[in-house]
Amino acid sequence: MSIEFRNVTKTFGGVCVVEDLSLEVRDGEFIVLLGPSGCGKTTTLRMLAGLETATSGDILINGERVNDVPTQHRDLAMVFQSYALYPHMTIAENIGYPLRVRKIEKADRAARVQRVAAMLEIESLLERKPRQLSGGERQRVALARAIVREPRAYLMDEPLSNLDARLRVQMRGELKRLQHQLGTTTIYVTHDQAEAMTLASRVAVMKKGRLQQFDTPLNIYNHPANKFVAEFVGSPSMNFIDGENATIGIRPEHIQVLTTPEDGAIEARVYVTELMGNETFVFLSVGANRLIARAPADFPADVDTKVWLKLANDKLHFFDPVSGITKGTKQESSEFKL
Amino acid sequence: MYLALVAALVFALAPVYWMLTISFKTEGEQFASPPPWLVFTPTLEHYYDAFVTRAFGQYLLTSAIVAVTSTACALVIGTLAAYALARFELPLKLNRRLSLWILSTRMFPAIVTAVPLFLMMRDVQLLNTRAALIIVYTAFNLPFVVWMMRGFFADLPRDLEEAALVDGDSRLGALVRVVLPLVSPGLAATAVFCLIVSWNEFLFALVLTQTDAAMTLPVGIAGRVTQYEIKWGVMSAAASVAIVPILVFALALQKYLVRGLSMGAVKG
Repeated sequence: MSIEFRNVTKTFGGVCVVEDLSLEVRDGEFIVLLGPSGCGKTTTLRMLAGLETATSGDILINGERVNDVPTQHRDLAMVFQSYALYPHMTIAENIGYPLRVRKIEKADRAARVQRVAAMLEIESLLERKPRQLSGGERQRVALARAIVREPRAYLMDEPLSNLDARLRVQMRGELKRLQHQLGTTTIYVTHDQAEAMTLASRVAVMKKGRLQQFDTPLNIYNHPANKFVAEFVGSPSMNFIDGENATIGIRPEHIQVLTTPEDGAIEARVYVTELMGNETFVFLSVGANRLIARAPADFPADVDTKVWLKLANDKLHFFDPVSGITKGTKQESSEFKL
Repeated sequence: MYLALVAALVFALAPVYWMLTISFKTEGEQFASPPPWLVFTPTLEHYYDAFVTRAFGQYLLTSAIVAVTSTACALVIGTLAAYALARFELPLKLNRRLSLWILSTRMFPAIVTAVPLFLMMRDVQLLNTRAALIIVYTAFNLPFVVWMMRGFFADLPRDLEEAALVDGDSRLGALVRVVLPLVSPGLAATAVFCLIVSWNEFLFALVLTQTDAAMTLPVGIAGRVTQYEIKWGVMSAAASVAIVPILVFALALQKYLVRGLSMGAVKG
């Protein structure tokens, strides 16, 4: 199913939450809306679900304007951050609810609940109540309720944010596989750039209600449209250095840290190092600037020792110092000084 | 702590005890001085007098019909209104204004409306009917229901209803299948209060009903205070019976009552 936002704006009591958003989602895509809290990503999702009305602009599903179609007739399924399981119903009743509402025969309903439960490995929980389940189990139930019928699209509002780190990574993988299996258009909201990078076929980065960039994860990472996107995507974040007529950005993996001086290398001092196990993050001070570099796990330098940096000149990003918009990646590297 | 409790209990229950004993005493014993506190010859003559000779059985039935019907009406209308006020954004800050306006209808003394109501009921030929009382009690309980239920609805996370809508249910379906089951303790507590108020109501019943067929228990009981004599025995017997239904109902719903009254405080 294709989805389109056409110049959609949403204001809450004079405050503009989503501003002139235009976005086209193709059938079967996994789209992630990424941004910090308050960027309007959840509101965008809720407008698509019909839980909020757009102040202006059009929302189209399969080319048909749905602004005035009530939620229950949009045929979408949504997974809430809180999971929103019905506390007074058993898990089986929870999963079967969308079918019950559609007046599907009891036997047929039970069979479909069973099938979905088997798919998500929650068959043993069917007779329990939501409060008897762990966070991860509730998450699966919420997913099961969404996929028990075949909706036109899945909407997911930070579905993994209430899980612990290990479970989150596991569920992330399962979600991706599930979506691949079902091939249903999915719109996924998160503030976690790692989730966006791993799940999305395309990522829409938002900030203060405005779409910053809408592209594949790789392009977002390698060719950020502006400084905000460059900084938000990638962990640790991109380094920024204020140059004379541009802000220069370089990712931590493109800084090579040497323990001996070399031609053209910049002198720096180790501020602190963080061993991650498979690699080391080296925090450096270069004059007044602070940089982060990635180094091998066995990187030897201690606090306050002198090191030398080599920047990969072809991996530099140049941003307009005022607007933050990318000026390109191929500028004279001699133009900037640290 | 316990002493204070005992004192409060004695204070609260002494009149009930007095009423119960009077209802079983002969008229002679009722006025004996000092009164026989515990030992007396019990008699059922007052109960016989009240419910067989006189029309107290009829009053009891009227009271029950009026209380139950008006409570049911007030709950249905009030719950829907409260849900709308708690969930829908009305223009011109109407949510707040309407709520306050509804509350304000309880701010003046009831007696102010007694005469106008009497005239209105006379004009629509509803004097001395149960319908008149049902209408008045429903109206009287509505603000209470709206305010109680509005609070319960407001405490409920919106996610659940929104999930129901996305799952394909209508607003009303979501209300019936998801919201109401979750506020049932609050609903029960509200129902008990409405029942008690309607059951005990005296003023409007006195003004609007004069005949045995339409009279409720409180009016019937008070009617035994006459110019020439006060029928203590009959009154006590009828009043003792009047306590029973409310007591049974409150006990049956006790589990919900406690939960309902503390619902806002402790999120379950």
